[in-house]
Amino acid sequence: MIYLNMIFTFFKIGLFSFGGGYAILAMIQQEVVIKNAWLTEAEFVQIVAISQMTPGPIAINAATFIGYQKAGILGGLLCTLGVILPSLIIMLLITVSYLKLRKQRWFQMVFKRLRLLSVGLIAAALIMVLGHAVENAFAVIVFAACFIATWRFKLNPFTMLIISAVVGMIFGTA
Amino acid sequence: MLFKIFFSFLKIGAFTIGGAYAMIPLIKKEVCEKQAWITEEDFLDGLAAAQSCPGPIAVNISIYTGFHVKGYPGLLMAVLGTILPSTISILLIAMLFHRYADQVRCARLFSALRPAVVALIAVPLIDMARKSGLNQKNAWFPFTIALLVGALTVSPVYVILATIAFAVWEARR
Repeated sequence: MIYLNMIFTFFKIGLFSFGGGYAILAMIQQEVVIKNAWLTEAEFVQIVAISQMTPGPIAINAATFIGYQKAGILGGLLCTLGVILPSLIIMLLITVSYLKLRKQRWFQMVFKRLRLLSVGLIAAALIMVLGHAVENAFAVIVFAACFIATWRFKLNPFTMLIISAVVGMIFGTA
Repeated sequence: MLFKIFFSFLKIGAFTIGGAYAMIPLIKKEVCEKQAWITEEDFLDGLAAAQSCPGPIAVNISIYTGFHVKGYPGLLMAVLGTILPSTISILLIAMLFHRYADQVRCARLFSALRPAVVALIAVPLIDMARKSGLNQKNAWFPFTIALLVGALTVSPVYVILATIAFAVWEARR
């Protein structure tokens, strides 16, 4: 039963994740943290960190990790399948008909609006993790340093996370 | 040929860390230039479709390219190649994580990684806001979405469906 529920949940996540990457986070939070309580907000942030240090899309990493934690290897594989199933169906349909659809006014309008929507969704993910991830002076300093390093100095996320990990090992609070 | 498709996408999947935007230039180089399976124009059309479809962009573009090159078997090989490195490495980490998650060292590690992730989400937000055509007139829209979903925990499902319905109505008007 848990398998079915997990496949269905990740199918839904895959189906409603427009804009890729960070815009998907709000959807995963809603389904996994708020609705099903499979993870706490703090665990969710850890998974995002792990996802960004390993190869592959965040949605797939999160699906595999959560599935494994809740239902072992089979759970991990089923959640992964669940999250890519909508892509397989819709992308295949679009591959065949996209060139025609693209010229339609309603189609263009939908994607213009969805682009703006994904900005809102990333901001929503930010609001949700903020309270659980930046909770003491040490965290504020790390956040500010990372923000400036990636935004102003274009440090890539992987290097930034590795440096943060080392800083955490040395100065972190347990 | 099928093995080659699988291997190309496996290589791309295994060596790109940090999501789809890091992957796209590599995929383009591999399939347009190195293997010459697809013209650049066709690839860019596919990329636009991949970005507008739901689901991970990297998976979407591998579906498009795989199908374009060798039909359904090609599609299957491309998708498997893209997701296998991710699935295997995460499974390994999840197994280890389970064993060490409670230890003090791990807690310290994540005390710095958690705020780093917040920065990781905040920076692309600024870039995305620029690229999405945000201005003073339409800023209320993402702002309202952020409040609804982030503070009032309304499901993105309803917000997305409402947005699509509104856009279709707007276009018909």
